[in-house]
Amino acid sequence: MPLGFKPGHRARASRGRLSPFRTLSIVLLAIALSATAGGFAYFIPAAVTAWNATAQVVQVPSPSPTGLLFSPSPSPSPQSEGAFTVLLLGSDDDSKFFSDHVLTQSMILVRVVPATKEVTMLSIPRDLYVQGYGKIDGAYSYGGAGAAIAVVQQNFRVHVDDYIWVGLLGLIKVIDAIGGIDVVTTNPVLDDYYPSDVYGGSPYETQRVAVLAGPQHLDGLHAMEYVRSRHGDLQSDFGRSKRQQQVLMAIRQKAKLLAPGDIPALAAAIGGELKTSIGLDRVARLIPLAASFDNPDSIRQIVLVPPYTHGGGPGGTITPNWNLILPLVHQYFP
Amino acid sequence: MIARFLLAIGLAILMVVSGTTSYIYLSTRQSKAVAAPQKPTDPTPRAQQFTLPGTIYLAQSGALYSFSAGRFHQLTPEAGWTMPALYPDGSQLVAVKRSPFFSDVYVLTRFGKVTGLLTDNQAAPRSRWDPGANAWSFYPRLSPDSHTLFMSYDGPKTAGDANFNVVMQVWGVPFGAPIRNGRSWTTANNYTGGDMQPVPLPAGGIIYTKYSYDSNGNRVGQLWFTNRAGSAGKALTSQAASCAQPSLSPDGRNIAMICTYGKQVSYLTIASWNGSTLGALQTVISDQLVAQPIWAPDGSGIAYLAPGGPAAPFQLWWLPRARYAPPAPSPLPTPTPTPGGPHNAPLPAPSPLPVPTPPVVKPVQVTTNLGFDATSPLAWLG
Repeated sequence: MPLGFKPGHRARASRGRLSPFRTLSIVLLAIALSATAGGFAYFIPAAVTAWNATAQVVQVPSPSPTGLLFSPSPSPSPQSEGAFTVLLLGSDDDSKFFSDHVLTQSMILVRVVPATKEVTMLSIPRDLYVQGYGKIDGAYSYGGAGAAIAVVQQNFRVHVDDYIWVGLLGLIKVIDAIGGIDVVTTNPVLDDYYPSDVYGGSPYETQRVAVLAGPQHLDGLHAMEYVRSRHGDLQSDFGRSKRQQQVLMAIRQKAKLLAPGDIPALAAAIGGELKTSIGLDRVARLIPLAASFDNPDSIRQIVLVPPYTHGGGPGGTITPNWNLILPLVHQYFP
Repeated sequence: MIARFLLAIGLAILMVVSGTTSYIYLSTRQSKAVAAPQKPTDPTPRAQQFTLPGTIYLAQSGALYSFSAGRFHQLTPEAGWTMPALYPDGSQLVAVKRSPFFSDVYVLTRFGKVTGLLTDNQAAPRSRWDPGANAWSFYPRLSPDSHTLFMSYDGPKTAGDANFNVVMQVWGVPFGAPIRNGRSWTTANNYTGGDMQPVPLPAGGIIYTKYSYDSNGNRVGQLWFTNRAGSAGKALTSQAASCAQPSLSPDGRNIAMICTYGKQVSYLTIASWNGSTLGALQTVISDQLVAQPIWAPDGSGIAYLAPGGPAAPFQLWWLPRARYAPPAPSPLPTPTPTPGGPHNAPLPAPSPLPVPTPPVVKPVQVTTNLGFDATSPLAWLG
């Protein structure tokens, strides 16, 4: 034993030295953990937003006696396997209204048939007369998404699987977050009394809008002006519904080009401006499905113009002609 | 012990770097689809620019730019400038400056200096409480003799009218005179947006885009021609074709336009023009979202705006003339009698030469990441 060397010293020294293998393992583990943590840090805000926005619980009021008119759900045919119906709701959520008691300026029923890759969009006029509410756009204001779903189910005799609600700012921010959309505006949309309620001081002020005609790349604000203006349209809300469907198609087209890295910015844009009853797991399954719908001709767009409806109803409502509407709805929303 | 301490410090630094790198890497993995367009004058390195003859004037984000010899020059600040048009002699520009509530037509030098104001569309101070008392002027163009300013105009207006039927009509105003000296040349259809983008013709009259409702209640564009103020005019294209944005060729014998056929498409279309009627429509490009076609002053092709990719901002494109007017094929060789051949015998049939297939001329994308205003016509100085 060399002088000065105490028993056990070698063993402690051996434990004190790190073998290259152990050191390398620790380094690799540290890199993996920290890289994963960096990834989590990037995606966690988006995940939290998505978690808060999705899987909203809906209380659909029990049907009124008219609900007895519901036709029994047909047994699914092979073609309609996995088909589902979503109610899209768009609201002015500015300071004219209390939070969550807003009117739905836009109501679009969407039927998706994955097997045949068919999509049908049916715009419901916001002024459509329905029992209990007068104008159908008031249902959400009184009873939230559940009431809106119930009134659509009872009157149109369809089953609504889920809903998606988007606020005004949400649409603007989403379109900006995806880098704008390409739209062929069919005509100049001119409005001298467009509500100046998005970024304006008072929600009751008005402003001038001129969205010029032709192919163009629209940012969120101008896309909103295009879909929301109705004063300069002889078809008023019907014309606006057509434009809303155009913009939805353009958003879908652009969304197909997005990458995972875009998700946080998109989630930040949506934050608080989107709610849906669709769960996060189903959203994940629907994204690739939406991307696979690449034939624009397989997307059917329906607007309930006369003779399906006509003006002159009580309180400025639009009177539905259910004898024409229901067969149409039954054809595309079985 | 020191080794372990150093290792711990090193690992901590490594983890911070690794985590940050991971975060930054993911943030750089955003798709190009969401990238904002660049300014044309940004000094970013790009591929060598395609050179077009003369100078093209165009608009991006409220600023006017000129494009010549492959380089862009910013003429005005980003302050609502759009729709440049050249004087017939090319000496100056007229352009629109758009504000939130009104727009006016200005005269600018070719280098962007404002030298005159041709309209006064802001509501009078006592009427400014009513947004509808303001007016728009869009798409200014000078007549070939420079005596008349044509434009789309939605005035004159009176405060308190609360008019929801805002439509533009094509007005002709003596150049430099106030609007009260002008006249409406067209009568717009109600609740359509009206009559847009006049093109003054050398022989007098204008071609413009008129919007109307078709039998299905859809709004469509049509090219119309009128030869004097107040006349009814006549349609040059059908409602079914839904055409707009006319551009007259330098020789005055062809019109370029876009036609959408009622869909979310836009075909570059040309047709012959004899001074009163259009010939058959010829679709030249059908796989792009074409906007604002303009003929090269030397007749060598057509420039236009179209997205650089799916659902992307609009870039400058160039279509060589060979695409829509291919050179005539060289005539087949005529058989000549063989000297000393049989007299009165039938001539030998020409050997069937393979007919050369003309090469497909593709449009050239001139810019890649700029994003021009596709509702603003281009102006081209030869």
